[in-house]
Amino acid sequence: MKYTPTIGIECHVQLSTKTKLFSEVDNDARGKEPNSCVSPVDYALPGMLPRLNGEAIKFAIRAGKAMNCEINRSSRFDRKHYFYPDSPKGYQITQFYAPIIGAGYVELPSGTKIRIEHAHLEGDAGKLTHFDSYSLVDLNRVDTPLIEIVSMPDIHSAKEAHDYCKELWRLMCFAGVTHGDLYNGNMRFDVNISLAPEGAEKLGTRAEIKNLNSFRSVERAVEYEITRQTKILDAGEKVVQETRGWSDATGKTTPQRSKEEAKDYRYMPEPDIPPINLTDELIEAEAAKLPLMPVDYRKRFTGSINNDILEILLDYPELMRKMSEIDEKYIKSIANLFTSVLLAEEKSVEYLSSLPDAKDLNELAQMNEQKELSSTATKEVFLRLFDPQMKGRGAKNIAKELGLMQENDLGALEAIVDAVLAKSETKKAQDDFRNGEEKVIGFLVGQVMKESKGKANPSAVQEILRKKLS
Amino acid sequence: MKIAREDIVHLASLSNFSLSDQEIESLGKDLEDIIGYISQLNELNTDDIEPTYQVFEMENVWRPDEIIVQEAERESLLALTKEEKDHQIKVPKVL
Repeated sequence: MKYTPTIGIECHVQLSTKTKLFSEVDNDARGKEPNSCVSPVDYALPGMLPRLNGEAIKFAIRAGKAMNCEINRSSRFDRKHYFYPDSPKGYQITQFYAPIIGAGYVELPSGTKIRIEHAHLEGDAGKLTHFDSYSLVDLNRVDTPLIEIVSMPDIHSAKEAHDYCKELWRLMCFAGVTHGDLYNGNMRFDVNISLAPEGAEKLGTRAEIKNLNSFRSVERAVEYEITRQTKILDAGEKVVQETRGWSDATGKTTPQRSKEEAKDYRYMPEPDIPPINLTDELIEAEAAKLPLMPVDYRKRFTGSINNDILEILLDYPELMRKMSEIDEKYIKSIANLFTSVLLAEEKSVEYLSSLPDAKDLNELAQMNEQKELSSTATKEVFLRLFDPQMKGRGAKNIAKELGLMQENDLGALEAIVDAVLAKSETKKAQDDFRNGEEKVIGFLVGQVMKESKGKANPSAVQEILRKKLS
Repeated sequence: MKIAREDIVHLASLSNFSLSDQEIESLGKDLEDIIGYISQLNELNTDDIEPTYQVFEMENVWRPDEIIVQEAERESLLALTKEEKDHQIKVPKVL
């Protein structure tokens, strides 16, 4: 039978505030020792009072606005109780009843809109590492601010699930609310998926796949689940509602040991943190800080940059900001240069941390346009423009220093052509060409290029050769 | 309101408490008394009344996003835990 998959995704985004959500401790534990970014509040020592980070509220407003969401004027925190070593408090401080971010939507590159149900602020848990007979707890991550974004079940394929997660990541990166480092778990996805016979109104029983940390894993896990659930339903059996884990290595989801009490969180209002009441002024001020978003760049560059290339470049907010400083007529060629670097150079991250000045990029594109630089030379100069040591010197100077400027002076070119034609080893080729052997022109152009040490403009050379040999 | 023995056992397991039979007994009775006392409020008509979530009438108590170097050092905090290994808190294996 044919089935329609229905998918909803919950995404946790770690916010890149300087301090944690409830304590004045460094929130950036990357590359730091375990338990070195921890305070007595994070340890939940008796009498400790959590203090809410105002910046996290502002980040949440911006994140919400990036997803076209309503921002709730009034929100508050609740305690979600559970006993586990990753949480010294014995509960997570979250927003169960009154979240800060209300309904909105995310528009995919395809134009499909995925509705957002709500998103809320909460503290992250600590990190556990498991060994044979014990586990170790690192509390650095305790109460890193998270927003949990809950989508409506508007997603209907593995590809769409992938695109939704990727677009969310872009929105959060453009909005500047997260480091967006998926490898280090800055964004994590839980996917709910069920299958129902095509055309059926009632949804099927769903499985939840927890803790996916890449777009590719989301896509593969959904593909796997669609196949697994299809087989179960085709056999006339029932899908079990359960939580499943995904393994990148095996490419399979497997049931996770479910704790019987898992759903009994005994929520209660968090008495230590007074409610958040936002004014329109504050919300508008934060919304105004949002820079241009992917949807704006898509509108702006459609027509000047090929769609596939634009979608590659949209993974890099700083690069898009740079692109908007480029002269309209050079946008396409600069976009192509950036793409070739990002796709081909292994050090793309390094390159991105030191983008060339727009002035140099415009100058470079102009030199290429005026045939002062061949396309190979253009790329060579382009790469140098990322070098902090070189870029202050300007594109033209770099091209000159490297001896890459093309010879366009027709008088000078003619002299070189004459010198080549005077050489005895080119005589046969000249005769062949006159006798109609068209392709030997390539050999002659090559000889001139060699003579000019690669600086001649090949199309000008060919033109002169044809004139002289006619 | 009668509190069943299983309710106490369930609540204890959620918080990872191990209770003796006697404690289960007495805690059950205590909870019944507490809930009974609070239940007096059920006599009031609370239709159209917003639940009270906090009693201090404070709002927007936010702090600036500035790192403050902690007086409590890593090792002194770790020393409060039962067992430590490689600057981490060692706990029985959990899944």
